Order: sequence, then C-alpha cells, then structure tokens
Amino acid sequence: MNFVTHTQLREWLGGLMAERSVIAPQRLQPDLVVYRAVDSTDEIAFDFGRAALSPKEFFLPATEAILTIERVRQLIAGDDGEAQPDWQIRLTDHELTRDQVLFAIRPCDAHALTALDALLLKEPVDAYYARRRQRTSLIGLACAQMGPTCFCTSLGFTPDDRQGMDVMLYTVEGGYALEVLTEKGQAVTAGLQSTPYSERLPEREWPPAQISVPPRSVWLNAFNDPYWGELADRCLSCKICAYVCPTCRCFDVRDYTVAQAPGYQKIERLRCWDACMADGYRRIAGGHNPRPEKAQRLRNRFYCKFEYYPADFGPLACVGCGRCIDNCPVNVDITEVLDAVRARS
Amino acid sequence: MIEQLRVKAREILENKTVDLVIGYEMGTRGAVRPAFIRSPADVDRLVWNEGCTHNLVTYLRTKRVPAKRGAPPLRIGVVLKACDARALNILLHENQLPRTELYLMGVVCQGMQEPTRPQANSTSGLSLSGRMQLRCQACSDRVPVVYDVLFGDSSQQPTQAVTGQRQSELEMELQRLESMSTAERYAFWEAEFERCLRCYACRQACPACYCAECTAEQLDPEWVGIGITTPEKRFFHIMRAFHLAGRCVGCDECARVCPVGVRLDLLNAWMRREVQRTFGYQAGLDATAPAPLTTFRPDENLKL
Amino acid sequence: MMDNPYVPYIGRLVDIQPLGTGIKLFRFQFDDAQLADQFDYRPGQFAFVSAFGVGEAPFGITSVRGVDDTIDFAVAKVGTVTRALHEMRPGDRVGLRGPMGNWFPLDEIKGKNVIFLGGGIGGAPLRPVITSILHDRDSYGDMTILWAARNPNLLVFTSEYDTWRQAPRTQLHLTVDEGDAGWSGNVGLITQLLQQVKPSPDNACVIICGPPIMIHFAILELQKMGFASEQIITTLEAKMKCGIGKCGRCNVGEKYVCLHGPVFTHSEIKDFLESFV
Repeated sequence: MNFVTHTQLREWLGGLMAERSVIAPQRLQPDLVVYRAVDSTDEIAFDFGRAALSPKEFFLPATEAILTIERVRQLIAGDDGEAQPDWQIRLTDHELTRDQVLFAIRPCDAHALTALDALLLKEPVDAYYARRRQRTSLIGLACAQMGPTCFCTSLGFTPDDRQGMDVMLYTVEGGYALEVLTEKGQAVTAGLQSTPYSERLPEREWPPAQISVPPRSVWLNAFNDPYWGELADRCLSCKICAYVCPTCRCFDVRDYTVAQAPGYQKIERLRCWDACMADGYRRIAGGHNPRPEKAQRLRNRFYCKFEYYPADFGPLACVGCGRCIDNCPVNVDITEVLDAVRARS
Repeated sequence: MIEQLRVKAREILENKTVDLVIGYEMGTRGAVRPAFIRSPADVDRLVWNEGCTHNLVTYLRTKRVPAKRGAPPLRIGVVLKACDARALNILLHENQLPRTELYLMGVVCQGMQEPTRPQANSTSGLSLSGRMQLRCQACSDRVPVVYDVLFGDSSQQPTQAVTGQRQSELEMELQRLESMSTAERYAFWEAEFERCLRCYACRQACPACYCAECTAEQLDPEWVGIGITTPEKRFFHIMRAFHLAGRCVGCDECARVCPVGVRLDLLNAWMRREVQRTFGYQAGLDATAPAPLTTFRPDENLKL
Repeated sequence: MMDNPYVPYIGRLVDIQPLGTGIKLFRFQFDDAQLADQFDYRPGQFAFVSAFGVGEAPFGITSVRGVDDTIDFAVAKVGTVTRALHEMRPGDRVGLRGPMGNWFPLDEIKGKNVIFLGGGIGGAPLRPVITSILHDRDSYGDMTILWAARNPNLLVFTSEYDTWRQAPRTQLHLTVDEGDAGWSGNVGLITQLLQQVKPSPDNACVIICGPPIMIHFAILELQKMGFASEQIITTLEAKMKCGIGKCGRCNVGEKYVCLHGPVFTHSEIKDFLESFV
C-alpha cells in the first residue's frame, strides 16, 4: 500500500488529461454531483458522497452512434446498355478515440459494471461496451460511511470493497492510501509520485445488513400477488429509476439521416437509453402491447433485477446504491418492495 | 384537521359516494407519498403535513378506468390544495373529467417544504428540508377555488408567507432572467436542457400533460428523435412549455420531480407571465371561462 | 467489424411479390458469395432487416437454405420500417443481421404426424417447415395444414397451396373469419376448423403461429382434444431492438424471445411467469 498527498494526486490526474479522457465527480449545483469528463483538476469535486447519476454512461452512453451508414449512388451498365443507378452501402462502426480514466468510482458502481459484464461481455459480445470497458481504468474511492439510502451491505459487499477496481484509494489524513490492483492499474499509475504507506488503515465496522433479498422460490410465488397493483397505484411510469440506476441497460435503436446531397446519404444509427417502465415499451407496430398495465411494467422491473437477470446471466442486477430511492417522486422504495416480497413467502 | 379529513373519507367510502379516495400517506424514511384508499378501514393511513407536495389531479383520468371492462367508471374522492384545485379546473374546462363523479376534499394549505436531496450528504433520508418551496413562497391564495368540502381554517395565515412589498424569490429569478441578453438567456437554458435525462418525470407528474401519445415519443411522423441530446431535449421542453401555455397552474411538481433540477418552474412561470401580460388571464381560477389560447374571438385586439 | 454483432451484412433485394393485402414477400441475396455460404439458417430462425435511414426490425425467415437461393421474408406494412421496406424496388440494398434465435426441432419430430396451425402472416414462419418436410417427405408422418386469415386476401402463400395439396399424405384446410364474393370455402375461426378436422394426438405434434390471442385459444382447444404440452410447439413474436439478448426488451418473464426462443414448446410456456399474450 502506498500513500499520496492531495497535491500528488492532482498532479497525476492533471498529467493523465494530456492523452486520456479523465472522468471525475463534478459539482454542477450545490446538491448535484455527477461524473463528467474534466479538463482540469479544479473542476473535480473531491469531497462528495455518492454521485447523483451512475457512471454507466461512460460505458453505455445515453446516446451513442453505433454505426455510420453511407449510401452512395454509382452508375452501372444495365442490361440494355443504359446507365442504371446502383446505391452502394458503406458501413463504419465506432471506436473510442481516447482511453478513459474514471476517477473516484464507488464500490457500488464498480459492482454494477461487473454485473453488466455478465450480460454485455457474454457472447455475442457487445462491441461498444466491451471497447469502453477495456479502454477504461477504474480508480476506486472507498466510502467513509454509508448514505441514508445505501444498502450495499445487504447485497454481499461493503462500501470499501475493491472488487472490479484497477486502483483503490482510501481517504486518510493528508491524502489517500492507494493500492494498485491490476496491470491496467500499474499502467495508469506509472506517472504517479507516491510514498510507502506506513500506517494501518482503520478497521471499518459497517452497519449490519438491513434487508435480505428473497430467494427465487419466493419471487416465483409472489408474481400474481395484488401487491404489485397496489404499488403501481402511485407509480408515474416515468424513467427516473431506470436512468439513475447503475445496472439498468435497456436501449432503443433508430436511424437518422445526418447529411444528404444528390447521390449521397449519410445515416447515423443511434442507440439510446430506454426503460421498461414506459407505456409503449413493448408495443409493436401493429398496436399489440403485452404489458399495457402500469402494474405489469413496474413488476417487470423488480423481477428483472432480482429474478430474471440472475437466472439468465448470473448476478443480481442491483447493487444497493439507493439512487432509485432518492429520486423516485412517489416513494417507490426498492427496500420496502424487497421486504414486502419476503413477507409474502 | 386530519381527523376530520379521515372521518369524511370513511363516510364517503362507506356510503358509496366514491369508490376510491386519493390522498397522502406516510411512506418510507420520512417521505410522504400518494395514498389510494379503497376501504373505509384504511382511512387512518391519510395524513396532512408540509410534505404533501404531489398534485393528485394527475391520477384522476387513469384511476377512473375500472378494472373490469364494461363496468362503470370509478367515482373518486381526492384531496386538493389550492394549486391542485386550479389544475382540476383546467381538466374540467377541457372535458377530461366529469365534475359530478368527483368528490373534492379541499384543504387550506400552509405551504409545502422542499424535500431534501439525499446525495448532498444529508443523513435525513427522504424527509423534509425545512425550507418552503419557491412556488409556496410566491403563493397568494391558500384556499382551493373549487371543493365539495373544505378542511382547515381559511382565515389562518400561512406559516412562512411572503407578504407585502417584498418580492418572492421566484419573481426575483424571473427578473434576473429578463434582464439577461438573449445570448445569456440562451446559454442559461442550454445548460439546463443539457442536464436533462429525458426521463419524462416532469410530463408524467403534470396533470395537464395527458396526451395518450406524447409528441416527443411519436415515431410516425417523428417530430423529435430518440437521442438524449441537447437539441432534442431543447425541442421537448420548449414544445411542452408552449403546450402548457395558458394551462399551467404553477404547481411546479415538474421541477420538484426532476432528478437533475432542471428549472422548469422558471420556464413555466415565464410563460404564465407572458399569458398574463398578453391576455390578462390566469389559468385554473374557473372551469368555464374561455381560455385565451383555445378561444378565437373576432373582436380580439391583442397588443403583442 | 466482423466481431461486432450490431454490424449488418449487406443484402440486395432481388424480388418483391405481393402476398396479401398489405403484405409482401421480399427476396434478398448477398452481394458477397462467401456471406451467402456463412449465413447458415434453419426453419424458425429470424433476422433483422435494416431499412437504412429508418431502422431495423426482426422478421422470421421464410425461405429454406438449400431449397431457395434467396433469403426470404414476409413483411406486413404496419410501421415506419415496414413502410420503408414496402417502398423498395429490386436492386435496393438493406442490412441483414442474423440468423438469430433457435429453430424448430425438425429432427426430433421425424416419424410423427405434423399438424400446422397458421393464422394470417403467422403462416410465414411455418412455411419453411412445411417446405423442409416436403423435401424429406418419407421421414415424417401425415401432414395436416390448417391455414386461416381474417379474409381471403390475407391468406399467405396461396401460390404453394396446390403443391401442398398434391403432396403425399398431406391435407390442406383453409378458413377465413369473413368470406367475400369469390370465397366458397370455410368461414370461421381456426379453433372451429380445428374442431371440424379433429386431428388425432396419437404420435402427433402441432406447430402453431399467429396472433398471440389465436395461439392462446388454439392451445386451449388442443389441450381439450388431448394434446400434451410437449406435443405443442409455437413461435412467439415480440418487439425487439438487438436480437441478441442485450437490449432487455423482448422478455416474457425469464425467457428472452430472441435468446431462448422464438420457438418454444408449451411445456416451457406453461411455466412462463408472464403471459405472452
């Protein structure tokens, strides 16, 4: 374990900005901290609790051009010798232009990336997510305490967990204690001045788990319980919970013409965030909608997180960050839902 | 006062005046949330305090729809603050709800507090901040304009009123905006829209946004792309502000629910002021008076 | 770009034929002959067709590899992508991503009597199964095809009916919800036709495709007639955006139509948490 002063840390981050995109917490408003790409360490909010939005947008952007399609008209000889128009297609997929460094990512958000890996890095690999994951170094920052709506300890890990990080920082007097955990971590800290950390990290006692996630059999039995209808009474069917969540990943895809000239058309295929909460999420062009009721959609979100995702891909799709609890305008509280499902076993 | 409200709720459910009462109840971690009471035995869940911020009118259209196809629509009792009652008048005016199938439980309001933003390192969960909401500071009339029964003392002064010559903070912010150059004002709004996530919470919370298919989500024809990018978001918010002009009653729930604090309260306040200046009209005071943007008068002579 | 499942192959439209009111049959070929070799698909699988500039949508592949030299899709004009496709002419190029999903268990049903229930454009994914059986006729038992549509102009693959009727040990029964002046055949729902034809469950399997509500009622009828869940096979449809199990959209409970389907037996479906209807 090493030690860095605040100054050494800033110098190192500033140096990284020359060739990489450095993403760090930024205070946009007195009570709003989000991860943003920064141009100087002055823009970084070093003192923050949990960012309002997760950093998933740097791996699964809210809007991403996944393909550029160019339609180019050429003239070829037809059967009758006359020139015929023939529209050729040229496809270009998109690469990241620079490596990314994600500074001060919290353990919950790193666990979320590991959960997303189980789906997006499974064959066939999601090329865009994979490239971003591969080209991003995660500099973790252990939490000093749990927030009022955090429940990561109920999901099997702690607020100072190093899992998934390339480098791990712990706030100590005068700076940070630092551990390099992976090869990527070695590479990204090559320019970092540090000294050996001679002290011991304080022992952390975290509050006991508040909730327990019900096992599969309980979820299966609770599917048709009237509880979901009662819960959905107040749900607004907005997309806040899915958009602030570090593990929700549903997306929409559509083409847009961005340039046009005689004999030429340039199209961007965009992929954008979407959420299963929306009324028209499953409506097909012919008009049929298999989830017309709010209750069905709201239930689907909880089942996806705690039943479908683990059954299909392995991990739970929830890391206990508490953002959905903070932001739901009508107090749909995921911990209350877990307790209610468990009570119905 | 809450006891009287609960007694009345029990009465109208027992004697079948209504099938459902929509009010407020305590949720988790100190939050207040909308309550849907279907049984007289549950009326003790109802509460009334400075966290009852939600505009419950937004639920009325969809909650009327019965569970069983062919059954009659539900009759609903609903708790209304002054701003909510104005919103109800908008929906009555637009023939979206039948007045006779609603039982309006008006409440004299003392003003609502801003909820805390837990990510600001607070330890208070989801409880209240102690600061009165901007819209309540600027509110002049705490008694609902329409009700079937009124709870609370209409003569009682609000706890944190802004009275006399002092301008409300909302007014001061509007003036600050107005004194900006066009370029400065454009930059202000671009920064607001840039933060937006297109979660549509503003639209879903709003009682006046009830279109079955929102223009922003229509694909055929496609008015707005699916991108969560500033041009699309700018289009959505400006379009929505125009769709609300003359109809927005200033409940500011749109601003309250926004996860990134987009100043929709300011945007709609600006439009309300333009409507006031141009037509001398304030939305929702009356369910029958002609609304300026949906009424054509041949003798109209506007000074625009 | 070969390792990127979101990048489509380029296909060229070689033929477009009307199949019914608002329904056309599209025949595509790959410009690149090597791709044509690689695109190994089986009856039941689907592919995403891109109308570049509008978007992509999934369609069941209705041709049979080795029998047809094109990749065929039946497309109903119902939305923006299908409208763009309907306006295409031979020579136009599209994107093709696939093949995706699982396929009908053609090997496992050898030796059995096969009953088909096709409703409207739902007949399109069944057509390649029928064609495959016809090309290996002796490996299968009797074939009973029940084909339905709302009206006679929505009956698909009419040009193949004579081939089906004339094949050994094969019967074709048609029905429409509403006839017209030129219609002299059955009028009634496919469930009523099923009651009339009364196929035996002995050594049989049923393959159903059509609107979700039709599949639902057909299954109930088949169960009344003594068919067991393992004997009933269907293929489901859902709104999709990726086709490869990433976008999260097409799940019916735990099962993703693109990953675990689209072909499911009723043994699987009866355990679904959600209804597919």
